[in-house]
Amino acid sequence: MKTLYKRGLVIALIASSAPLCHAAQASADTLTPDNEIRLGLYSIFYDASAQDISGPYVPAGLNLHVKNVETLYAAYERTLSTHFTFELALGWPPTTKTYGRGPATVGSVPYNGQEISSAKWAAPSALLYYKFFDDRTALRPYVGVGMTYVNFYDRQSTEAGDEASGGPTKISLTSSLGPTVSAGLAYRISPRWGLYASYSVSRVRTDLTADTAGVIRTTRISFAPGALVVSGGYSF
Amino acid sequence: MFKLRHFSAAIAAAVLTACGSDSTTSSMSTSTARGTLAENPPLRIASVNAAGLAAQLSANASGAQLLAITGAPSCGVDFYYIKFWTVGAAGESTQSSGALMVPTGAAPTCSGPRPIVLYAHGTFTDKAANIADITNPAPANNEGLIVAAMFAAQGYIVVAPNYAGYDISTLGYHPYLNAAQQSGEMIDTLTAARTALPNTFSSATSDSGQLFVTGYSEGGHVAMATQRALEAAGKTVTAAAPMSGPYALEAFADAIFFGSVDLGSTAFTPLVTTSYQQAYGNIYSATTDVYSATYATGIDTLLPSVTPLDTLFAEGKLPETALFDSTTPVVTIPGNTTLSDELTAALALPSNPANPDTPLFDLGFGPSYLVNNSYRVSYALDAAANPDGAVPVLTAGVPLAKVAPTQTLRLAFYMNDMRNGDWAPDSPTLLCGGDQDPEVFFSVNTDVMAAFWGGLPTGLITVLDVNATPAGPFAPIQAAFQEAGAQQLAFYLSPAGGSLTLAQAQALLIQAYHDSVEPFCALGARTFFSQF
Repeated sequence: MKTLYKRGLVIALIASSAPLCHAAQASADTLTPDNEIRLGLYSIFYDASAQDISGPYVPAGLNLHVKNVETLYAAYERTLSTHFTFELALGWPPTTKTYGRGPATVGSVPYNGQEISSAKWAAPSALLYYKFFDDRTALRPYVGVGMTYVNFYDRQSTEAGDEASGGPTKISLTSSLGPTVSAGLAYRISPRWGLYASYSVSRVRTDLTADTAGVIRTTRISFAPGALVVSGGYSF
Repeated sequence: MFKLRHFSAAIAAAVLTACGSDSTTSSMSTSTARGTLAENPPLRIASVNAAGLAAQLSANASGAQLLAITGAPSCGVDFYYIKFWTVGAAGESTQSSGALMVPTGAAPTCSGPRPIVLYAHGTFTDKAANIADITNPAPANNEGLIVAAMFAAQGYIVVAPNYAGYDISTLGYHPYLNAAQQSGEMIDTLTAARTALPNTFSSATSDSGQLFVTGYSEGGHVAMATQRALEAAGKTVTAAAPMSGPYALEAFADAIFFGSVDLGSTAFTPLVTTSYQQAYGNIYSATTDVYSATYATGIDTLLPSVTPLDTLFAEGKLPETALFDSTTPVVTIPGNTTLSDELTAALALPSNPANPDTPLFDLGFGPSYLVNNSYRVSYALDAAANPDGAVPVLTAGVPLAKVAPTQTLRLAFYMNDMRNGDWAPDSPTLLCGGDQDPEVFFSVNTDVMAAFWGGLPTGLITVLDVNATPAGPFAPIQAAFQEAGAQQLAFYLSPAGGSLTLAQAQALLIQAYHDSVEPFCALGARTFFSQF
């Protein structure tokens, strides 16, 4: 499944690059150059919900929740036409932490509120934007649709997680590709400099597998992560 | 375009480098040598402190009764699920599993160097049984809970296998009552548990070097065989307490074949017959040699099973109680009318109304029976020609048959009888049971072993019959067992218990008798061990 998602992303990138040459010529007489690099801050509101953990020796009602994070944001945007742009965005992969939700203890081991596991969350997005007005307008609202690919790495079971799981635990989280919608405002300070604020929502999910001494426990975590981005851009 | 390609490459690189250092789980052994711990460290299934264990036990009536017998926990208990390598009856390599229960807590009796209780459980028909799974209310876990509350919560490290053929073991049968295999597996479990202990969350608790061996029912036989094997290997056994076990297998089986059919025999018989067939290969050529045509097909792989025993009864896979044909055989031995008549009488229904066990033994006969008459006669002829010293006539010293039996099932019992080889314990041994036990008869097992070892130095062998008149150091245990029985009888007679007749109430008590003895014998074992 992971391979399929990666292949899908590559295809999306190749497909998206095809019209760019035409777009560069089409917008040659505009004020703003066609390429832009943006840097900023990402606040990610995971809005995650998980199924109760299932597997051997797991009492009923054990669940997880995921804590929101903030991270750096970087993006490249290519102007395709007066109203359309294409963006590739990536947050600096934040460490995403999952916490126990459920009974205060499992047996005598603390559970609720304990940091159970962590993983780096890499979530590049590819979005096609429609910008209202033209680039002579300083303040341009825009909307976009696209896809977000989520991949987890540096997956760690914490000490508390190992205690709750019953031993050293290997965590696996499947990758996911999901739709993303976005809306924002662009403020053009000068032909080369701009400020941006946007809010994006994606829908992705991951299957978490915990392997403790060969005993497998699983849950599915569904995310509808909202990402509030404030950034500045330089066009060239 | 060039820049875009670079940026795409950067993103792709970021995605592809999403493979940092993940946390890992236990290491898996590559060795399959027996006694090797397969997963190190093992999984801790549960961890409860003393108060939590007391609360868990108090949450239901049976747990509260157990707590009243064991006393309040003084330690918490960590329950580990150990997987290890052992061998089957024919030397087949197989993984097996079991429990490592470790006392925890600040009290000096709960951590630091602590003694080990090596425990062997009783007969399970549930193939999925896992004594370590304290989170599961299945019968296997009642025994796990008893052991945890009786020993681990009082400061003993408990090591207990599930046995080959159960849980994760891929062995297609269970080496039931096979002294060599089961004692070997017990020692393999102990080896694996000792490997695991320092790597667990409970490493503040360590092995003191004291080793106590005990077990109940099937596990009583296993415990005694293990004590013998450890002593033969020069290992120190601090003390042992086999409980309600079928130690004198030849005598016990002779009694059954002569008509004293024990409760549970229709489950025990396929287990032991399959076990010995797998070990020795000579019990039968076809299952119909032993079993009636009604049940012969598939019976060699029937038990243990993931299907509940009651379902197997309901599906007609096993008779509920009828081990033998109610149309009993007429034995004809050419030229020996006297023996023919005696054997015919011995194999008749145990219909003597003067025998208080008759109603029980009569349950062992029916028109839809398990073992056919021809096989029963072949066994009885061997037993009559080469009798055991305890059955049918008690002789001095209760020896085994003078020579090895020729009937192959009886030979297997002879080989696995704990009198075989004239072994006697070197370490102090408590034999505990209840003299009204309808499943594993006290008289032809515990009494026989006590008589067989009658010449040993005083104090080496102690017998505790929880049903005897209270006397001596175990008097409180005997009194408590009998008081519990009286209370249960009164309950059955009361409106809350269904206002049963006395006969109905007594029948229920006798059905539950074997299981009801266990916690009291376990308390006897703990009391006995505490002297050392």
